[in-house]
Amino acid sequence: MADRILPLHHAAHGSPPQAKRGEEFRFAELVAATNYSFLRGASHPGDLVGRALELGMKGIGIADRNSVAGVVRAWVALNEACEEAQARPEEIDFRLIVGARLVFADATPDIIAYPATRHGWGRLTRLLTVGNLRAEKGDCILRFADLLDHADDLLLIVMADDSQEFLLRRLAEARPGAIWLGATMPRAGSDRRRLAKLKRLAERVGVPLLATNDVLYASPDDRPLHDVVSCIREGVTIQSAGRLLAANAERHLKSPDEMARLFRDCPEAIAESLDFLDRIQFRLDELQYEYPHEPVPAGWTAQGWLEHLVLSEARRRFPGGLPAKWRQVLDEEFGLIRKCQYANYFLTVHDIVKYARDQDPPILCQGRGSAANSLVCYLLGITPIDPVENNLLFTRFLSEERREPPDIDVDFEHERREEVMQYIYRRYGRERAGIAATVIHYRSRSTVREVGKALGLSEDVTARLASTSWGSHENEMEERRYAEAGLTIANPEIARLKTLVERLLKFPRHLSQHVGGYVLTEGRLDEIVPIHNAAMEDRTFIEWDKDDIDALKLMKVDVLALGMLTCIRKSFDLLRLHGLGDWQLDTVPSEDPAVYDMLCKGDSIGTFQVESRAQINMLPRLKPRCFYDLVIEVALVRPGPIEGDMVHPYLRRRNGEEKIELPSPDPPHPADELEDVLGRTYGVPLFQEQAMKIAIVAAGFTPDEANGLRRAMATFRNLGTIHRYESKMVEGMVKRGYQRDFATRCYNQIKGFGSYGFPESHAQSFAKLVYVSAWLKCHHPAVFTCGLLNSQPMGFYAPAQLVRDAREHGVEVLGPDINASDYDNLLELPSPSGEGEGGGGAPLAGPAPSAAEAAATPPACGRGNLAIRLGFRQIDGFRKEWAERLVAARGAGFTHVEQLAQRAGLPSRALHLLADADAFGSIGVKRRDALWEARRAPQGVLPLFAHAEATELGEEPDAGLPAMPLPEEVVTDYQVTRLSLKGHPMQFLRSTFGREGVLSCAGAAKARNGRIERVAGVVLIRQRPGKGNALFITLEDETGITNVLLWARDFERYRREVMAARLMEVEGEIQRSKEGVMHVIARRVFDRSALLGRLTDDRPFHPAMSPADGPKSSTDPRHRHPRDVRILPKSRDFH
Amino acid sequence: MWSGIVNDLPSSTRRYLALWFPFLPADRLRRASGGLAPEIPLVFTEKVKGALRLVAVDQAARSQGLEPGMALADARARVPLLEAVEQAGAADRLWLERLADGCIRYSPMVALDPPHGLILDATGCSHLFGGETQLAADVEARMAALRMTVRLAFADTPKAAHALTRYRGLPARDAAAALRKLPVAALELPPEATQGLLRAGLKTVGEVARRPMSSIAARFGADAVTALRLLLGEEARPIEPRIPIAQILAERRFAEPVARTDFALEVLGELAAEAAWQLEQRQEGGRRFEAFFFRSDGLVRPLQVETSQPTRDPALVIRLMNERIDGLSDPIDPGFGFDLIRLSVPMTEPLAVTQLRLEGGAAKEAEVAALIDRLSTRLGRGRVQRFVARDTHIPEQMQLAFPAVEAGRPSAGWARPAPGEPPLRPLHLFDPPQPIEVMAEVPDGPPHRFRWRRKFHEVRRFEGPERIASEWWKRKDGAVDRAGLTRDYYRVEDARGRRFWVFRHGLFEEKPMPQWYLHGLFA
Repeated sequence: MADRILPLHHAAHGSPPQAKRGEEFRFAELVAATNYSFLRGASHPGDLVGRALELGMKGIGIADRNSVAGVVRAWVALNEACEEAQARPEEIDFRLIVGARLVFADATPDIIAYPATRHGWGRLTRLLTVGNLRAEKGDCILRFADLLDHADDLLLIVMADDSQEFLLRRLAEARPGAIWLGATMPRAGSDRRRLAKLKRLAERVGVPLLATNDVLYASPDDRPLHDVVSCIREGVTIQSAGRLLAANAERHLKSPDEMARLFRDCPEAIAESLDFLDRIQFRLDELQYEYPHEPVPAGWTAQGWLEHLVLSEARRRFPGGLPAKWRQVLDEEFGLIRKCQYANYFLTVHDIVKYARDQDPPILCQGRGSAANSLVCYLLGITPIDPVENNLLFTRFLSEERREPPDIDVDFEHERREEVMQYIYRRYGRERAGIAATVIHYRSRSTVREVGKALGLSEDVTARLASTSWGSHENEMEERRYAEAGLTIANPEIARLKTLVERLLKFPRHLSQHVGGYVLTEGRLDEIVPIHNAAMEDRTFIEWDKDDIDALKLMKVDVLALGMLTCIRKSFDLLRLHGLGDWQLDTVPSEDPAVYDMLCKGDSIGTFQVESRAQINMLPRLKPRCFYDLVIEVALVRPGPIEGDMVHPYLRRRNGEEKIELPSPDPPHPADELEDVLGRTYGVPLFQEQAMKIAIVAAGFTPDEANGLRRAMATFRNLGTIHRYESKMVEGMVKRGYQRDFATRCYNQIKGFGSYGFPESHAQSFAKLVYVSAWLKCHHPAVFTCGLLNSQPMGFYAPAQLVRDAREHGVEVLGPDINASDYDNLLELPSPSGEGEGGGGAPLAGPAPSAAEAAATPPACGRGNLAIRLGFRQIDGFRKEWAERLVAARGAGFTHVEQLAQRAGLPSRALHLLADADAFGSIGVKRRDALWEARRAPQGVLPLFAHAEATELGEEPDAGLPAMPLPEEVVTDYQVTRLSLKGHPMQFLRSTFGREGVLSCAGAAKARNGRIERVAGVVLIRQRPGKGNALFITLEDETGITNVLLWARDFERYRREVMAARLMEVEGEIQRSKEGVMHVIARRVFDRSALLGRLTDDRPFHPAMSPADGPKSSTDPRHRHPRDVRILPKSRDFH
Repeated sequence: MWSGIVNDLPSSTRRYLALWFPFLPADRLRRASGGLAPEIPLVFTEKVKGALRLVAVDQAARSQGLEPGMALADARARVPLLEAVEQAGAADRLWLERLADGCIRYSPMVALDPPHGLILDATGCSHLFGGETQLAADVEARMAALRMTVRLAFADTPKAAHALTRYRGLPARDAAAALRKLPVAALELPPEATQGLLRAGLKTVGEVARRPMSSIAARFGADAVTALRLLLGEEARPIEPRIPIAQILAERRFAEPVARTDFALEVLGELAAEAAWQLEQRQEGGRRFEAFFFRSDGLVRPLQVETSQPTRDPALVIRLMNERIDGLSDPIDPGFGFDLIRLSVPMTEPLAVTQLRLEGGAAKEAEVAALIDRLSTRLGRGRVQRFVARDTHIPEQMQLAFPAVEAGRPSAGWARPAPGEPPLRPLHLFDPPQPIEVMAEVPDGPPHRFRWRRKFHEVRRFEGPERIASEWWKRKDGAVDRAGLTRDYYRVEDARGRRFWVFRHGLFEEKPMPQWYLHGLFA
C-alpha cells in the first residue's frame, strides 16, 4: 500500500510567490461561462465582467456552451462600466474577448474557441450554425471534423488530458500556433500532480499551457445557486444529487494573486493568458452591418429608387402638388435617410408590404409603432397615418444623434402571416434572414416551481406558491406571496427557497423565437450570429434578442399577426360578395357621426381595442367625437395610465370640471414651455413622446438621454439606471424652477407607464383600426359579426356574446344546417318568417339594457337585410376537411341522414357532431332522432355503395325516443356549439328566481341607484386586474349582462362560491355612475349552479360515486381568456 | 352503509356482495398518520399532462364541492386550506389487498374490484353468519373498527352488486326494479357512449333495456349490450378470486380472540403438523406455505414462505416462518387479538415418503447469505454489518454500515481512483476526527508540522488540498449565503514515512483560526 502514495510531492515549504513591490500579478481569465450556458453557468454576463474588473484582471473571455447568446450583454456591461468611469473602452486596461465553448457530440474534449479576427468570428458562427441546424431546437451537435473545417482565425484552448494526446497533436499540426492546452487547479486533491502531467503533455506536443479556472460563476457565494441549477438540469433534488454536484465552490473568478499562488509550479501558464489576449484583434463592434440590396432595380441607387417611389406616390395622393409643409418634412427625412444610409431598410420593408398587397387575394397589412411618425413610411404605404397632418415627430422614429437603426413593426392578417414569413425566407435565403430570439427568463412562477422541485419541496407546495400571483408575470416574489400560500419564511426550507428564487429570477432559461422580428442582411447572416432551428417547422432564428440587436445596431423588421386585420379583410370580402361596396382600409368614409354615436353609447362589442369591459365603461365618459378622441381612448385605458392615475384628471379636464394648469418654470425659461408638450392632452401626459419631451424641455435632457429614459421605462432590466434618471429629471426640473412636488409627480407618472405606455403614433395606427371596425359594426353588423366569427380565435368575446350582440342589433342568425352551411359562417337572405328555422326556438326575451339601447335606435343605413348562417366551424371539434367533403357532396341537397353519410363519406364522429349540433333541421329530423340515426350509420363509406344511393341499412322499428324538452335543447346547444339560438339557460329558471325576488339583468339595470338588490346569471368573466383590490364578475342572463364588483376582502369570504359557481347569485348595492354605467357592488355571493342540473332531466348522481366518470374538463376561468370560457361544461355532468 | 337487496332466504342462485370504499385513499392515510386534522379537506393528486389533478378526495373535500378530475390549482382557488397528497396507487392497492385478505373470513372467493372495491362470492356463505343482513352488519362493524367508509350491496351478479353500491343511495326491496332505475352511467360505458344514450333521452338502465338490443348494439357496440346483460343478470361472468383456493388447508378458530403472538405461533406449529399429515396422505410436499392471522377487527396478516425443494417437515416450515417474522420490519401486531389462524399450502409437488436431504448445489452467494443469516442469528443483527455506499462528497457519510441482513446485496457506486492513481481516501477513518495542532501556511497552504497524541510529526511530503464544502441545504437556519465550514484535506507523510489524512476545518475567510483535525490513517 505504502508505495502507492509515492507520487506525493515533496513539501516545498518556501513562501508562496509574492508580488514584488509595485508590480502585481497580471492575469486574464479566459474560460468563463455565463448563465447563457443554460443551467450550467450561474452568473449574469455583466456580473462576470464587473467582478473581473474589480479583481484587477487584464481581461476576461466569455465563452458559453456552443453559443454566443450572452456575449453582447457582456459587451454592453463593459461599455456601461466604461461610461460610468467616463472612459472609452479603448482607454481602460481591460479587454473583453468573446467566443464559445465548443462541446462535441463525439469524444472530443471541450475546446474554447476565440476568433482572432472578424473573419474568425464568421467561421465560429458558421460552425455553430452547422451544429445547430443539425439538431432539434435548443441543441447543437458538433463533431471534431466540423471544427477542422471552420478553424480559420480561431484560437483554441483545449481542455484535454493525457488520454487525448493524439487529438491534441492533430490540432497542433492542423493549426500551428493557435492551440493552447487549458490547465485548471480545481482543488480536487491531486491538482499538482495533474498540473505536472499537463505540463509534460504540453511540452511533448509543443503547445503552451494556459492557466484558467474554468469559471462558472463570479463569486464563491454563487455556489448554492449553481448547485440548484445543476439539480434543475439533471432533474434531481439537492438531497439526492450527491456527487453530481461540485464538491466545492472553487469555480469562481479568482484574483490574479490567487491564480498565481495556485499555479506557482507553472507561472508561465499565468503569463500565457496575457499573450493570448494580445493575439485577439476582434471586437464585437466590428460587426459591420449591411442592409439587403435586393429591392433596388438595376441602374438605380437605393436612395434614388426610394425617392422615386415616395415621390410618385406623393404625386398620386396630392394631385395638386405636395404642400410646402409636406415637402419640407419629406426633404428632411430624405436627408437623414441619405446621411444614415437607411434607404435599403425602407425599401426592404416596402418590398415585404408590397408582396403582401400583391397576393391574390391581397393580405391586409398596416404598420404601427414609431414608424408611423415617418412620412416616407406613410407614402410607401407601410403606415396608415399621415404624420404631418397629425403633428407627429420624425425624431421619435429616427434621429441622427441616437445612431440607432430604425425599427418598423407591420401587422398582417393573423391567418396569413405565415405566407409573408415564408416569402422572406424565400427571398433572402435562410442564411440571410432569421427571426430574432426571445430570451425566455425565469419568472416567478417557473422559478418557484423549479427551485422548489430542486430543493425537494413537494409539488403541491410549489404549485401553491406559483399560483399566488394571479395570472400575471410579476417578476418579484415578495414575502407576501409566501404568506398567501400559507407558508412562513421562518421555515428554513422556505427561507432557502425564497433566497434562491430571488437569485434565479431574471436568469435566462432558454432561447425561443421572437413573435416576428426578422433580421435581414446583405451578406451572410450566419457569419454574424449563429442560427438555430425553431420548434415550429420551417422557422429558423438567430441567437440574439432584440436588445442585443439594438446594441449592435442591426436592422429588424417586425412581421406581426393581428386578428382584427383578418376580420376586416373577411368583412370587406363579404361586402364585395354581396354587392355592398368595394372598400379598403383607407377608403372607408372618415369621421362618420353615426359611428361615434354608437361608440358614445359604449356599444362596441367586437370592435378593435375598445371592446373590453373597462373600455366599454370608458366610452360613455370620454364620448369620442373625432378620430383623435379614439387615439386618446386607445392610449388612456391601459394599465400604465390607469396606475399612473392619469385617467380621472384627464376626464375632469376634458369635461371642463377642472382647470387646466400647467406649471411654469422660473424666468428666463419660457413660461409656457410645457404648453406645446401637454397642450392637446389637457396637461396630462398620455403618450411616451410626451414623457420624453417633458424630460427634454423641462429637465434639460438630451434627446439621447430621453430615449435612454424611455428604454429604462420599457424594460425591467436596467433597474439601476432608472434611478439615475429619476434624480436627473427631478433635480433638472427643480433647478429650472418647477416645484419639487410637481417634478416628482411627473416622474412617477412617467414611471407608471412602464412598458405599457403607447407612443402616440402607435395609438394612431391602432385608432385607425378601431374606427374601421366600428364603422363595419355600425353599418354592416351582420357582415362584421360574420367576419369576426370566421376569424376566431381573436378578440375579447366568445361567439355566444358576438352572436347575441348581433341579434340585439336586429341581425337574424340561423343555426348550422347540412343543406345550408359551409365550414365558415355565411350570409344569406333571411328566412321569410324572420325567425330561425329548426322550430321550437323562442327568440330572446328582450333587448339588453345599456349597450343594447343602441340597438333600439339603429343607424339608418344598410342593416337587417342579411342573415348570418352559422358554419360548421362553430361546432366544437368539427374539422374543416369534413365540412369541405360535405359541401362537395351536397349537390341538390341531402334528404336523409344515411344518404349524407354515404355521399360525403364522413366518419361517424362527424355525423354525431352534426346530429348533436341539430344540423338536420332542413330535412325535418330533430336532434334526438338525427342522433339515433347517425349513430346507426356505418363507419365511413363502403366503396361498393359509395355511388349507389340505395339504403344499405334495413328498416328498424321506431325507437320511440322521448321528445327533447326545450331546456335540454338549449343546454345541448351550449355544450356543442357554445351558443344557442333557441334560448338562454336562465330563461327556464326565471320563474324560480322571480319567486325568490331575484332580479334579471334587465331588472337590475333599471333598479334605483343605491338600492340593495339580488341578481343572478351565468358567469361569463371573472377578472382580477391590476393590483387585485377588486374582482370583476360579469353575469349573463336572457335579458342582458350585469357587471359585479367584489372587493378583495369579500372575495376571501366567498372564494369558494366565486371560483366554483357557473350560475351565480349576487346580493349587493346598485351603483350607477353619472354616465349611466352600472355595477353591483357585491356583499354576498351564492353558488346556484345546482339549478342548471334541472334543465336536463339527466338524473344527477354524485360524480364521486363513480370515480371512472368524473368531470372531464376543468372549468376554472382564472387564467383563461374570456372568449375560451364555457358557460356550460362540455359533458353533461354538471352539478 | 349498504344499498343492495338482501335476500335472507336460502337461495339456489349465486349471491355476490360488493364492497366499495369511496374514500379509500383518505381513510387509509388517516389510519396511517394521525397528524391529519379531520376537518381539513384531504385530496389526492396525480400529474396529468403537466397539471396536478385530483384523483381522490375525502368526505370533507367532497362537501366543499371538490371532485376528482378537478385541477389542484382550481381546487385551491376555491378552498385554499386543504391538504393535498400525491396519490399513492401502490399503497392503496396494497391496502385494498389487505382488506381483501380480511374478507377471506366471509368467503374464500374474494376478488379485487379496483381501484377501490371488492367483490365476494357469498353463495352459501351467509348462513354461517345468520343470513345476509347479519353478514352485512358484520362487515360494516369490522370496517367501522378499521375506520373505513364502506358501501355494500348484495346482488345476483357481481356487476349488479358493483353498480348498486356506487349508483344507488338507499336499500331497495325489488332487485330487478332497482337495477332498472339506475342511471345509464351505471353501465360504465365509455363517456362518449354514456353521453350518447343521455342525448337520445335514455336516462336509466331500464329505458335502455326496453329498446331492442339490436338497435343498441348497432349504435353503442356489442360492449354496451354485454354491460347491460351483465348488469341485469342475463349473462353471468364469475369473479376471479385473488387467492386461488388451496387444496390443503388447516385452520383454527378461537372463541375468544388470542392476543399473544407466541401462542399464535404455537398454534401455527400444530397447523403445520396437520398440513404435513394431509400432504403425506397425498404423497406430496409443499413448495409454498401461507399463514393467515385473522384479527378480530377484520384485518389479516398473511405470511408466506417458499422452499426450493418440496417439503412437509413441520419443523422446517415453522423455522422458515419464524425467520420470516424476525425479518419483518413491523412485527405481527395482534391488535385486539386473532380469532382465526389458517395455514394453506397453495403450491405442492410430488414427494416420496422419505424426506430428501437438502444439500449442495447452492450458489456461492446463497452460501454467503446463509452464513450471514447464521452469524446474524447467533451474534445479533447489529453485529454483522455491511457497508453501503452513499452518494455524497462528505467523507464520513460516504458509507453507512447496515446490519448485513438488511443491507442485502453489496452496493455498487463506490468511488474508485483512476488506474495507476493512489487512493485518495484512507481505509481507516476516525470517528470523530481527532483535533491536532498544526503549523501551516497562511491562508490556505499545506501543514508543515503537526502534533497528534502529544507527538510531533514533521511533514515531509504532502498532496492537496482536496477542498470539500459543506452541504448548505442542510443548515437549520435556512441561510444560503453563510454555508458551513469548508474542509481542506491533505494527504501528508511524516519523516518516518507514516501517512495521515488531515484537514483544516474552515477556510481563512470563513474562520479566523481554523482548527485542524486528523481524519484518517493510510495503511
